[in-house]
Amino acid sequence: MVNFWQLTQNELKKIYIQKATWVMYILLIVILFGAALITITSDFITRDYNEDTWREELQEENNKLTKEMQEEAIFQEYNTGLIEQNNYYLEHDIMPPGYGAWQYVHENIILVSLISLFTIIVAAGIVANEFKWGTIKLLLIRPSSRVKILLSKYVAVILFALLTLLFLIAFSWLIGALFFGVDGLNPHMVMEKNNGLAYVSIIKEVLVGYGFKMVNLIMMATFAFMISSIFRSSALAIGIAVFLMLAGNSIVMFFAEHSWAKFILFANTDLSQYVNGNEPFMEGMSLTFSIIILLIYYAFFAISSWIVFVKRDVAGS
Amino acid sequence: MVVLSQSNFNNRFKGRYLLDNTAMKLINLKKSIGKKQIIKGLEFEIKSGEVFGFLGPNGAGKTTTIRMMVGLMRITEGDVVIQGKSIKHHYKEAIREVGAIVENPEMYPFMTGLQNLNHFARMIPGISKERVQEVISLVGLEKAIKQKVNKYSLGMRQRLGIAQALLHKPSVLILDEPTNGLDPAGIREIRQYIRRLATEENVAVIISSHLLSEIELMCDRIAVIKNGELVAIQSVSPIADDIEELVCRVQLEAKPANKAISIMKEEFGMDGDFDRGLIHFHCQRELIPNVIQSFVKNDISIYRVEVSKATLEDKFFDLIGENTIG
Repeated sequence: MVNFWQLTQNELKKIYIQKATWVMYILLIVILFGAALITITSDFITRDYNEDTWREELQEENNKLTKEMQEEAIFQEYNTGLIEQNNYYLEHDIMPPGYGAWQYVHENIILVSLISLFTIIVAAGIVANEFKWGTIKLLLIRPSSRVKILLSKYVAVILFALLTLLFLIAFSWLIGALFFGVDGLNPHMVMEKNNGLAYVSIIKEVLVGYGFKMVNLIMMATFAFMISSIFRSSALAIGIAVFLMLAGNSIVMFFAEHSWAKFILFANTDLSQYVNGNEPFMEGMSLTFSIIILLIYYAFFAISSWIVFVKRDVAGS
Repeated sequence: MVVLSQSNFNNRFKGRYLLDNTAMKLINLKKSIGKKQIIKGLEFEIKSGEVFGFLGPNGAGKTTTIRMMVGLMRITEGDVVIQGKSIKHHYKEAIREVGAIVENPEMYPFMTGLQNLNHFARMIPGISKERVQEVISLVGLEKAIKQKVNKYSLGMRQRLGIAQALLHKPSVLILDEPTNGLDPAGIREIRQYIRRLATEENVAVIISSHLLSEIELMCDRIAVIKNGELVAIQSVSPIADDIEELVCRVQLEAKPANKAISIMKEEFGMDGDFDRGLIHFHCQRELIPNVIQSFVKNDISIYRVEVSKATLEDKFFDLIGENTIG
């Protein structure tokens, strides 16, 4: 028996030896630096409250926000939220935290979409490129079953996603620490939760936030992987998967009036719709419902790639 | 009455493959794609220590057959048995015996030769670092092994392909057009190396080619296929001692030529071609006097008779006819 880890290791090496992968990481680093620079130069967020005068500072801030709100209607919703948060600190007499590394990590949850894109690119190439390079023949004439080879590729894709995610969190924190300092080991802040505002641990919020985003990432990566192994074309896989990732919400909205819209994959990929006091997208949807739908799609993606890859005749390139 | 099930039948005969030195056996191998049958029941054996040529024009089904031998393509009917193990039913055990290059020696272009070899070495248990170095020096790639494969010439990639196929010391080596892209010196080297593998390590080597002249020099036996069918299996004996058996190529200047050709047809059943004043035909050496005698009897004037030994190449072309694909 060939060690499954050896095969996975091979696949990971092939991913990380390619220049395209390094470009992805460099891009991520540039974005993280850029965002930190923008944040620190705009006086919007960076503030450390004085231990004695933070109450006055918050009050002053509220006044400013109210004034801005009256001038520009566009800020209405956002500023109201901020004012409510400030009031929560005042009412509960908690000194608000400054802006630190973990806050920066929390804000960069949005970059998980970028990692989704990178993972789609990797997943789209990992089977299709072997056909393109012609190396699939040398890969398959080894004492390992095709299922095992396919699975090792899939596991490598997921590991790539996790490693990149860890990199994002670690590097965000580092850059955050560098630019904004470290605000205690386990900083808390006020956020909107199930029962209105609550004072919560940022680290926990970071983990939960990244976790929710992972659902969409894994579904889209698995989808791209399926297209890649069925059609042996990475361009097609990237195209369709990225299109669906971007257009997913619009597709759901377009069919929103039909009751079957809740069975569309993208209506279910955002599990955060069931927490923090959010409303589910449609009536009749629950966390269990979405998880079942996600599992059905996942099984379909996995089984289609598996059947096609194992049965295929590997003919001329 | 005993009814043998298919698996029972297979088990009974499995033992027999191991008795002799058959390394690979094709049993009524067929492949259909859609309704079209492209391999039509190939059946032959390759012995350990033998260099076996697999010859046919382009499109004859060589590569399809090789793909079935290594399990890249599904077998429609029949089987390939490698060292007694069926590639259909015991894929892992069977493929472990095989090293192969199928079509072009394609490697990961963005990795070095060494990284490529290590990659494939990790896929088979029990390949040491020393073994990797050993194969590198076997194919003479020491200097270029740290270079990326996209800088390699076709000849270098061919060598790397062979190195990759030899990593796990296979008992059956399958090389699809192995001398493609090699210069004459490289071809000579590979040829000598293949012969050494066969005689010293008792490896069964299967070499496919569409160029007879090339594999004639290194093969013990040659199978010729055309349109997915086995046309002939021919031993390549370096010493043609039984000269009487040999087919000769005869060129004859005789008048009237058309009469001569019809006599050949009637009395000997031979087809002669008339070309540039000469009658060309193939016949066994011992028949030549008879043919001439009968010409003389029929008042045909003979000006010139040239006899040459028919080469394998002539035979090859006789067998496959025009180079038609279809």
